[in-house]
This record gives sequence, C-alpha cells and structure tokens, in this order.
Amino acid sequence: METVAFYSYKGGVGRSLLLAHAARFLATLGQGVVALDFDFEAPGLHYKLGADQSPYGPSFTGGAVPYLIATAEGAASAPPLDPHTISVEVPTEAGGWLRLMPAGPAPHPPYWAALKELGDKLRLGDPSGRGFMALLDLQARIADELKPDYLLIDARTGVTELGSVATTILADTVVCMFVENRESLDGARVVIEAIRRSPRLVNQSPIRILAVLSRATAAATWLPASAAAILGIDEIFLLPHDDLHASERLVSGSGLFSAYFTLFKGLFPSAAEFAKPHHLVSAQPSPRKNL
Amino acid sequence: MDIDTLNALVTDAIWRAQELDALGIQPASAWREVSVFEEELAKALPSSELEGQIARRGAVRAALKAGEYARAQSLCDTYLADTDAPTFLKTGVQEILEEADREISSRFQHAAKHHTPREARDLASRFSDAGAFSLAA
Repeated sequence: METVAFYSYKGGVGRSLLLAHAARFLATLGQGVVALDFDFEAPGLHYKLGADQSPYGPSFTGGAVPYLIATAEGAASAPPLDPHTISVEVPTEAGGWLRLMPAGPAPHPPYWAALKELGDKLRLGDPSGRGFMALLDLQARIADELKPDYLLIDARTGVTELGSVATTILADTVVCMFVENRESLDGARVVIEAIRRSPRLVNQSPIRILAVLSRATAAATWLPASAAAILGIDEIFLLPHDDLHASERLVSGSGLFSAYFTLFKGLFPSAAEFAKPHHLVSAQPSPRKNL
Repeated sequence: MDIDTLNALVTDAIWRAQELDALGIQPASAWREVSVFEEELAKALPSSELEGQIARRGAVRAALKAGEYARAQSLCDTYLADTDAPTFLKTGVQEILEEADREISSRFQHAAKHHTPREARDLASRFSDAGAFSLAA
C-alpha cells in the first residue's frame, strides 16, 4: 500500500477535490483505494466523493474521529472498520474499488462534540507513544484488513499536529499544493523543507514530494520555474484556473482536465502507466442534484 | 537524607498516588515522587542487597506509572551498567520495561507488526519538544 498525503499550507486550493478525482481515477484503473479525511476541523471529502447525498446532510455516524476515540488509548479489541467506512460507487470494469473513511458526520453537532472528545484522548505528545501508535495502528489496520493499493489522506491545512503526522510519518508521497501568491508559496517552502528534514521510521523509504501550483492564471506562466527553485523541486505540476461547474466534474478536453491527467500520470507512475484520458472521463462522478 | 526518611517518603508517596488514583485524580506527580525517592534509596543501597534491588525495580516501575518513559529507560540503563548488580536484578529491571512495551503492543496490534513502542515514544518526544513539523525546534 502506498500512502499519499494531500497537503496545502493555505486552504481553498482544491486539495480535497484533487484527492477525490485521484481516488476515482485510480479505482477506474483497477486499483483498490481508501480515501481518509484527516481534515477534522473542516471535513468535506464525503461531499467531494458524493458518499452521502442526503439533502439533510450525512446519514452515516462513523468515521475517523469516532474510530480514533475508541482506539486512541489502545484497545484490546478494536471496533470493526466497516461501520467507519463508506463504499463509493465507481466504474468496476477493471476491478477497482473505492472506500472512504470520512472524518465523521460533519457538519452535524454530534460530530463537533466527538471532535472535542478526541482532542482530550488523542495526545500526540503523550510520552507513552500511545497517540502515535493509534495513528500508525489505523494506517496499518487499513493495510491489513482492507488491503488497498493506495491510501489517500486529505491532510489538514496549515501547521497542525495531524497535518504534520499525515505528511511526515504516515505518507510515502506528499502532494503539496499552493497558489500563485507569496504567502502560499512561502508556507509551502517552509513545510516542504520540514518534511524533507523529518526522519523516517524504520523500513520507510525516503519521502517523495510533488509540488502542485493550483488555480494558475495565464499570467502565471513565469511562476513554475521560479517556484521550483524556491521550493527546491525539479518539477512543478500546474493546474490552470478553471471555473468548474458546481458538480465539480472535469470537462473532457479542458485545460484542467489535461493538467489533472498529466499530474496523475506523474503521481501514480505504475498504476497510471497505461492510462488514457478516457479513464479520467469514466472516473467522473455521476451528476448530482445541487441545492 | 537518611534511609529511614527516604523509606517514609516512599511509603507516603505510594499511598498518595494510590489514593489519588482511587479518587480519579491524575496520580502522575505522586508516582514521579516515588520514582525519585526510590532512585535515592538505590543510590544509598548496594545492588547486592535485597533493599537495594527493591529500590531499583521500584524506581523504574514508578517512572513508568508516572508516564516518564525516558526516565524509566535512563534508570534501566544505569542499573544495567552496574557491574556489581546480580544478573537476576538486571533481567528483572529490563523485564519491567519490556512488559510496558508488550502492554502497548497488545493494544495497537496492527501498528506493532511494523513499529515498536519505542519508535512511537521517540516520535512523541520529538513532537512534544519541537511541535508540528518540528518547526518549533
């Protein structure tokens, strides 16, 4: 299982949307995928993946927050994963599948109560190491029981505890997104340097970092080269600005569609080696009703 | 401080730790006191004597109860390096730490297949010192 964390120093760069499209694309190519929403303070991957389309908000009760409440201090018998994950409908011709572990039933009030409880229980600085063991256990359990080819983690923006663990400890690959302004680029630089400096655990490979300039305007053609130099990265992937329809479906043939396809080929070189654009077309979610 | 005084302080600190625990109050600071007093006793009593052996084991065990794994490890290392200490004492002190690791591994069985509790403790220590992304270092 390869773990890919999607990170951005600032919000609003299209991080969760990129993850959702990547998850669907991989599943369409025949890969087993688990998408994990670690953006606990503003979770939305269940919306992006259309995992719950009830007009009244999420109807599920499980997710990473309730699961971790039950396991943060260790559990002789951990609760089953199944009630905390949701199967997402994807084309199955190639044998792929996609499961989402949402953060929880946000934005319903009980979710925020649960998040507060988790804050008391999951303490990463706990000298016993229980906090870290709980997160490593969740990752290992997903690998052992669900056996996906990919675990895609939506990491929290900014400099946060969970974002730090997702990118420096759990990830094999980090996708670091930024937009064309100084604060976004400076933040990305600091975090990328920190990720590079972070020691790896035993048996972990050196981390791979991909930088993605998102919402790029036509005026930003100069930026990738200078951003690459600032970030110390060989290549910057560029996602052009595109007024996506409210359904957030990629329009085949658009600049954004082509950029996504190029990025996915670079991000998942083995899984996407023989991928064609029609796979990305097939991976688009079904049209859904909007408010 | 003489040995009688240290023994009295240890007894008092153990009693307080247990009473705090029974009342649902975090007893870590009392267990730390126990560990410190036991460590002082261990310094005063040779490892060849029964009282000295009890003090060494008590210092390590109380450090773990206080949640101070680094201290427990450090005490263990000190006692293992004592060339006069009998083998059974060294084994016993090491066993206390290993038991703590086994307890954590049994509660995180999937993680334990790939990572040791000591790795997780090192991460926690680094995190505690330097914060997210180690940016506060």
